[in-house]
Amino acid sequence: MADFDPEKFEDKYANYFPELQQAYKNAFNRMNDQYDSQLVHAIDQQVLNESEPFYEGDGEFRVELPEDPYDRVTGVLVEEDRFEEVLEIHVEEIERELQRVFGFA
Amino acid sequence: MSTETQDGDDLEDRVANFLRRNFPQIQMHGGSAAIQDLDRETGEVSIALGGACSGCGISPMTIQAIKSRMVKEIPEIEKVNATTGMDGGDDMGGGMSPSFPGETVDDDGSADEGPEAPF
Repeated sequence: MADFDPEKFEDKYANYFPELQQAYKNAFNRMNDQYDSQLVHAIDQQVLNESEPFYEGDGEFRVELPEDPYDRVTGVLVEEDRFEEVLEIHVEEIERELQRVFGFA
Repeated sequence: MSTETQDGDDLEDRVANFLRRNFPQIQMHGGSAAIQDLDRETGEVSIALGGACSGCGISPMTIQAIKSRMVKEIPEIEKVNATTGMDGGDDMGGGMSPSFPGETVDDDGSADEGPEAPF
């Protein structure tokens, strides 16, 4: 469990890169086990590659997504409603993993 | 024995060294990071993660970290485009060799510092 410093999180990619990787990877693995692998991979590679986590305070994290995530996904046939549903769950998993990795949960 | 007149190559070397030094886990996990394009006028560089990175759950975070840190740590770089092989789906197939273009491999066998600290 890492010592979490909100100020250091401002430069998160330098200070907390391994923890961030771990959180994203844990979320990815869980999603990949439970949902359509092709869709999860597409979300991971084509949407989350433009995402950015922020610390909201009180042990809460928020993952900011790029605009129009559905339009970013290519090579996967999925209805937009389903896509949005799986994406939302994936983001929640990342936020939960961030809490876990940084010792808030 | 660097610099001299080839600024372009020097910048490319620095980008490659930056990736190798700061992101050793790309190679450690069987991935690769290739500089596809480097525009010295605009300071824009395109990097493709391939090999094992193409389907790896940590590559989105790696891409974000590369983008964020490279523009801060290499002043000449203004913008970083980084992708994995997932976008087009038809390339990167066999790119398992973890190499960086521009990487100078000294033939004395010492591959300078090895990767450190698994994440």
